Amino acid sequence: MIGGHLMRRRAERAVAYIVLAALAIVGLAPFVYLAILSTMSHIEILTQVPPQLEFRWATIVANYHEVLISRGLLRFVANSALVVGVSTLIALAIGTPAAYAFSRLPFRGKDNIGNTILSMRFMPPIAVAIPIFLMMKEIHLRDTYMGLILPYCAFSLPLIVWIMIGFFDEVPREIDDAAQVDGCTYFGLLWRVMLPIVRPGMVTSALFGAIFVWNEFLVALYVIDSGRMQTISLGAATLISAEHPIDWTISATVGVVTVIPMLLFSLLVQRYIVRGLTAGAVK
Amino acid sequence: MNIASVAARRSVVIGGLNHRGVAVLLLLGPCLLYLAAFAIYPLIYSLKLSLTDLQAAEAHGRWIGLRNYGDLLRDPFFWNATRNSAIMVTASVTIQVVLGVAMALFFNLHLRGSALVRGILVLPMLISPTIVGVMWRSLLNPDWGLVTWVIQQLGFDQPAWLTSVSTTMFILVLIDSWQWTPFVFIIVYARIQALPHEVVEAAQIDGASRYDVFRHVTLPLLMPAIAFAAVFRAVDAFRSFDLIFGLTYGSPGRGTVTLAFFAFQNGFHFQNYGYAAAVSYMMLIILMIGMTVLLRYFGLRARHAQ
Repeated sequence: MIGGHLMRRRAERAVAYIVLAALAIVGLAPFVYLAILSTMSHIEILTQVPPQLEFRWATIVANYHEVLISRGLLRFVANSALVVGVSTLIALAIGTPAAYAFSRLPFRGKDNIGNTILSMRFMPPIAVAIPIFLMMKEIHLRDTYMGLILPYCAFSLPLIVWIMIGFFDEVPREIDDAAQVDGCTYFGLLWRVMLPIVRPGMVTSALFGAIFVWNEFLVALYVIDSGRMQTISLGAATLISAEHPIDWTISATVGVVTVIPMLLFSLLVQRYIVRGLTAGAVK
Repeated sequence: MNIASVAARRSVVIGGLNHRGVAVLLLLGPCLLYLAAFAIYPLIYSLKLSLTDLQAAEAHGRWIGLRNYGDLLRDPFFWNATRNSAIMVTASVTIQVVLGVAMALFFNLHLRGSALVRGILVLPMLISPTIVGVMWRSLLNPDWGLVTWVIQQLGFDQPAWLTSVSTTMFILVLIDSWQWTPFVFIIVYARIQALPHEVVEAAQIDGASRYDVFRHVTLPLLMPAIAFAAVFRAVDAFRSFDLIFGLTYGSPGRGTVTLAFFAFQNGFHFQNYGYAAAVSYMMLIILMIGMTVLLRYFGLRARHAQ
């Protein structure tokens, strides 16, 4: 009887591990498949089903040279890095003090203002893409980095405020009280006491702002006109949608080039990802 | 008492604003001004556009009042898009909540290696839905896609993934779920980790079955987290545009044209800015009604308003 019980437990465990392995495969396989396609020639993709995994250096070099150099994706990556970096820094600089005020200071209309900012997290980009395009045209910022940085800050700001409020809320009030008795002003308190404590929050919120901006291409589609100013997501989206019939070698390689920086970046800051995803969900 | 008097002296009124008022203004001001200029103003601009017949070629649109909205309500394509959006949101949220909660419970078994798998499952959320669309378009390619090949090896007929209207919508929802079920999972899982062990253990000692413990103890405690995840997923599925861009571009026919994609088509391909703005305002109205209903239904409030 005890033996039967043990057998059943063993069987349950085996099934559980099979499920776990299946989840890992389902999560990872599409990435791996894309990476494999990017090492094959167009003919090989069409004829080798499933892929034979005979990696030929010449084909790989040819594919990536075509995408990175001939089609200019390397430049697009640099454009994106600049736009993502600057817009995230600005949003962080504006958003962190605001989140601090929401967490610590009482003021009139706090709930309404707070809810309005948080609800901007839900705004469909399509609802503002055209007006932003027309605005940027009016102030002559079409086809410039600034023309992307300005609206992108507005997209990541609500995210950053949302995440940062949570991190500030976790800092015990006693720290504020102690600092204020020592004669710290609000700014001294924020700069010298709070910022070092909430640094993980700043990394987390910057990460999520950066991911959003890196992947955004609808606003870029309107604002950017010339080939050389494209961001990586815009470049990838146009390459993928413009060609009929689609060149799968190019598409797969473009996909890999677009995805890899985000995956590497997220490996570096892995422990912050879950914090950012669950921001506001768990008290 | 001493501290209180120090605090009172600090908040001396300076030109109508006390110390704290100035601090709030300086801390919050830049953020509010920025959002007013680059989020609120574009929304008002969009409302204004929706009342004109602006086309890209013209410099100025004519004021036509509510005509765009009237046209919309008579436009069968608008209703088609609304229907597609409704299907997309309902199906995605249902599938992702059910699977996400199941996964959270499963990972709560703490099998060896589950931390690694959790790390893998986070990855899809980080990448552009456009690329996700292309990825799956290659996996499902009817001639050489890997999934097609596997299905044929298993002895099934090759399904018409992306060419028949009914299956395409289904595939779209499944792929959205591939990318975003982990979102529900991570949030619910975080909540499970934070649950007090004593409650579940007490119920088990009382002789409750596993199902009863889940149904009457765990699930009610998880509800706030599930509701939170469901609201986020509903909104994101509703405004989702990039996945359709990468996967189907609205095809077959208008089978996967959602409201977001319909607004995009009008604004980008037909350059019918006024009409596109009206579509996006209809989206905002639906969003607002939907959010109000959902938030009231789940009794959720924004975090800081607790």
